[in-house]
Amino acid sequence: MNAWLAGATALCAGLVPCAWVCLRARDHFDRLVALEMAAMLVSLAMVLLAEEMGRPLFLDLGLALALLSFGGGLVFARFLEGWV
Amino acid sequence: MVAALLFAAVGIALAGAAGVWLMRNPYQRLHYLALPSGFSGLLVTIAVLLHDPQKQAALKVALTALALFAMNAVLTHATARAAWVREHGEWPPKEPPGPP
Repeated sequence: MNAWLAGATALCAGLVPCAWVCLRARDHFDRLVALEMAAMLVSLAMVLLAEEMGRPLFLDLGLALALLSFGGGLVFARFLEGWV
Repeated sequence: MVAALLFAAVGIALAGAAGVWLMRNPYQRLHYLALPSGFSGLLVTIAVLLHDPQKQAALKVALTALALFAMNAVLTHATARAAWVREHGEWPPKEPPGPP
């Protein structure tokens, strides 16, 4: 196991506390913050996995996730503000 | 060198995840989003620059780190604003009463 794969694995382990907050928190906004953190961790993990595999094309996945999670977070925040 | 940079990036990101887990309300949790978006992205970009001679890969990683860094500020503000409006019903917050 090289450093890239170990780093990606460790980043995926960081999803456990985010999932815990998403499942157990009382406030909707606590869950939203945990979701935003999970998206950042997965985006970085995708970058590390793409580098480990030696395929720069896979870096697009991390970039796309970073961009889409931004839009998704804004939409969630807007809906949770008053409609849910 | 690359392994040390990755170790630091992953450690900082995990510290942010632990902060999100341990804090008590969304305003406190939001502070910890800055750790992976700011420091981890930058460190991973430097590690890729050192490891991979291809400019295309480094450019994509730099774009990803820049997107995470720039959008986190907007997302944090939007989330905190929505939480405040949900809690207090108005925006902007009222000024606290000053001394008489």
